[in-house]
This record gives sequence, structure tokens and C-alpha cells, in this order.
Amino acid sequence: MGKALCIAKKDARIYYFKPQIFGFGILIPAFVYLSFSLGREIPPDLLVPGLVGMVSLFGASSIEGVAIPIERQTGTYELLQIAPISTATIIFGKSLAGIAFGIVLSLFTALGSALLTQSQITSPLLFVIGVVFGSFAFSALGILVAAAIRDMPTVTISLTALRLPMIFIGGVFVPIHALPPWLSLISYLTPLTYLVDALREAMVGPTMSLVIDLIALAVWFAILQALAAIVLKRRTEL
Amino acid sequence: MENAIEVSSLTKRYGHVTAVNAMSFQVARGEVFGLLGPNGAGKTTTIRMLTGLTKPTTGTAKVAGRDCVRESLAVKQRIGIVSEVSNLYNEMSAWDNLMFIGELYGVDKPTRTAKAKELLKVFQLYERRNNRLGTYSKGMKRRVRIAAALVHNPEVLFLDEPTSGLDVQSSRLIRLIVRELNRKGTTVFLTTHYIEEADELCNKVAIIREGRIIAEDSPEKLKASLQSERILEVAFNKDVPGLEALLRANGSVVDVSRQGAKYHIHTTNASIVVKEVAQLASLNDLEIVSINTKQPSLEDVFVKYTGLDAVQLERLELLGAAKVGVRRGA
Repeated sequence: MGKALCIAKKDARIYYFKPQIFGFGILIPAFVYLSFSLGREIPPDLLVPGLVGMVSLFGASSIEGVAIPIERQTGTYELLQIAPISTATIIFGKSLAGIAFGIVLSLFTALGSALLTQSQITSPLLFVIGVVFGSFAFSALGILVAAAIRDMPTVTISLTALRLPMIFIGGVFVPIHALPPWLSLISYLTPLTYLVDALREAMVGPTMSLVIDLIALAVWFAILQALAAIVLKRRTEL
Repeated sequence: MENAIEVSSLTKRYGHVTAVNAMSFQVARGEVFGLLGPNGAGKTTTIRMLTGLTKPTTGTAKVAGRDCVRESLAVKQRIGIVSEVSNLYNEMSAWDNLMFIGELYGVDKPTRTAKAKELLKVFQLYERRNNRLGTYSKGMKRRVRIAAALVHNPEVLFLDEPTSGLDVQSSRLIRLIVRELNRKGTTVFLTTHYIEEADELCNKVAIIREGRIIAEDSPEKLKASLQSERILEVAFNKDVPGLEALLRANGSVVDVSRQGAKYHIHTTNASIVVKEVAQLASLNDLEIVSINTKQPSLEDVFVKYTGLDAVQLERLELLGAAKVGVRRGA
């Protein structure tokens, strides 16, 4: 755990303030959201969870989506490979960097949007837990894509190509029940759907559905993390 | 006493290409061992297998008493690796890079702080410890890289082309430090295509070509293996076409090569060849500007075993430098 934290601290220090993070992690979700919400009356219980979920998705997945390609290109990833740490520890440390970024960004967004819409969050603790679980899953998603693809432009394009459809079917702008039945079925195959639903539950009053959402997010994290470890090990071993 | 490195039939294949072919050797504890060979001979692949970065196709390797595949984490804990290309973080200072690496190797904070201070002083970088690494010269970065490989007091230090492309001052300092580390008991395994460097630093040298060891011994013994030969170094006042062929025609001449304005004549009987050269000069109206006999150098051993001449060697070294430049720029 200590070595994973050491990697996370280093990544936070080097990559949090990179222009690419500002562009792909903050500006893109902000513009996407504004272009779909401006001029529309969106009820707060749809706006706040949707916006926070989207920010968590973009924020948590962007850090390693930028860091891993840079490190593989400059050779600094090799420094981690030659150290006495397993690939699983490297991946977990890198996840932590994305998770922390996603959590901080999401909570600031939650606070700001709740204040602006003068809405209340019924269960703030469960809301925070939802944000944490979501950031875990999305950070692992960023690592998996970065592990599979070598250069940064292709990683960011691929991540955006994955994230945008997730936003449209994940209940960010349109509630799942308002989607055509076949699309709502597909929406349950993306982790964002479970996060947005968990956050909405925490906002209006939690039910058992929130527990299912959190379990689904944990399963997503475990699957994505394991896949990322396998792919990164294969792609970085010569 | 147990060897620091034991390699047995180590082979690495990439598809149909065999980068390292059934390599076997031992490095005793406290020894400086040099793997000498032209670019593409398999030096870096060998280092990558010994340091647990690449799995061998077949064969075994033990470093510091641990198996490089089955106990790769234990091996990594006991070794320091300095790769040819800098893999430190340019965004961080030398100090922060060393502290980060110390933490990765599980060195406690007071120890790594003291060690980083000591190392940066030895490498003459302490005054600039808080500057971003991106502002350092190539030689300074290489020194930080070596310092970083020593933060956890490794038993075995791997150096991949430690002075390749560096300025004279940095190269000299690095060689000095390698000797000092070895004096204190650290086993050093280095790859180089600088023959003088191997001659100066190594207790034992293995010459490799196309993934195979073609000669292995101490530099002195390797040179002694060519003792039956003498090298006659001759310079004439002008060029005569076909002179090399005329020199070769002598029965006691083993080989002739040209290095700049000088002819290097390898012979088993120097006195006969000296007379022949004088006769040849007189017949072709040439003046002998200088004539010397030389003992074979490690370079001569290298040339003999690899079949490369001095010009090819020079080209390979330039090619190596260009490759490093491209990788850095990427």
C-alpha cells in the first residue's frame, strides 16, 4: 500500500496540472454539459447526479489516460518496472491518482451545483460513497484504455469515444426510463448508469437500489483493474 | 563463495530472430564484468533478462542468489539498474527523483535522505539538487541516474552503456565512481561498445556477437592470446594504389588494416616485415614517415573476434549514438 501511495503522489504531482488534463478532464465535460443543458429546465435531482457522474467519469479516467502514454513514450514507466513492485501494485497506485482527482473534482461539482440549484442531498455520506466507488471504476477504465493503446492522442480520442455514448445512455441528460427499451438495456452495461443512479438515490432518499449500484460499480472496478493489469503487463514486457 | 551472477544457456527469441543465443557465464562477487559487443549484439536484451524486465525464452539466470524469473521482485530489490536512456522524471528535481526511488525500494525516510545527500555530493550535483531534471545536461542526468540506482545500496549494479555519448568530464567521473563502488564490494555488470572503457574498468570481459559469447576472459589474458602477433604501424609520405595488397602478399603478414594515414600490419614475424616494408618503400619511391611495433590492444582482440574493423566500429558507435538521439526525441 505504501508503494502504491508513493506512485499515486508522484502522478498527482506531475500530471494533475498538465494542460491535457484541464482539456480532456474538465473542459470537455463542461462544454458537453452546457451545450445540452443551456435553455432547458432540468430538475435538480436529474442535474446534480448527472453532472457529478459525468465529471467523475472524465476526471478519474483522464489522469492515467494522459500519464501512462507519456511515461511509456519517455521511458519513465520503465523506472516503475525495474523497481521491486508488482504490476498489480503499479496499477493500484496509478488508480489512486485518478481516483483522488475524480473524487475531489466530483465533490466540488456536487457542492457547486447543489448550491446553485438550491437543492438538498438527503444522504451526503452515501453520495460521497457513490462518488468514491464511481471514481474507482472510471480510473480503472482510463488505465485499461491507456494500457491497450500506446500513443496519447489515440488514447484520448478512444477514451472520448467511449465516454460520450456513456453520457447519452447513462441517465445524465435523459432518465433511463425515458430511453427506448433497447437503449435502456444497453445502458445497464456501462458503469456510469450505476453511478448516476446511486447519486440520485442518495439525493432523493436511498433505497436498496443504491446497494445494487455500489456492488455493480465495485464489480466494474475489479474487472477493469484486472484487465488493465493483464494488458499493461503484456504491452510493457519486451 | 557464491557467484553474484550465474547464467546458463540463456536464450531470447523474438519471433524468428534470436537476440541472445544460449549464453552462459558467471560473474564472481565483487567483480566488474563487461559485456562487449557492437550495437544489436544482444547486450541490452541480456541485461533486461538479468534484471527481470524480459523473460528468457529458455535457460536460467540467477542474480544475487535469486532466480530472475521466479524471484524477480527479490532480484530487483538487490540490484541497481542504469539504462542507457534516462528514465527519470524531468518534471521533478534530482532530489525528489532520488527520494521517490528510495521510497519505491522501501528505504526509510531518514536513510534515504542521508543517502541522497551523500550520493548527490559524490556526483557533484548537490548544489543543483532542487533544479528540475529537465534543465540538466545529458551528463548530469546520467550521473543522477547512477545515483538513483544506488539509493538502496544494491549488491549488483547493472550499467547499460554508462558513458555512451557523454562529455569527457562526466565519463571520467562515472568511471571513477564505478571503480570506487567496486572497491567497496559492489559487483558491477556493464555493457559497452567503448573498448578502452572495458579495458580500464573490467576484471573480466565477454565479447559477444549476434547473441553469442565468442570470447571471455580478463582483458589481459585476451590480449595475451594475441601475443604471438605483433602489430606494425607504418605511415608513408603519400598514397600508392594497391599498397595494402602488396603488404598482404608477404607470407608472415596475417592482416592489414588502414586507420587514417597509418597501415596496421598484423604479423607473426615483425623483423622480416620491417625489411619488406623498407624494400616496398624503396621500390615505390615512398618515404617512411613513421614505423612502430605495438602490443595487441583489447580493440585488436575485439576486431579479431568480431571480424569488425576500426571503421566499422566507428560507424556502429555513431549509429548507436543516433539511435539514442531518436529515442530521446520520441
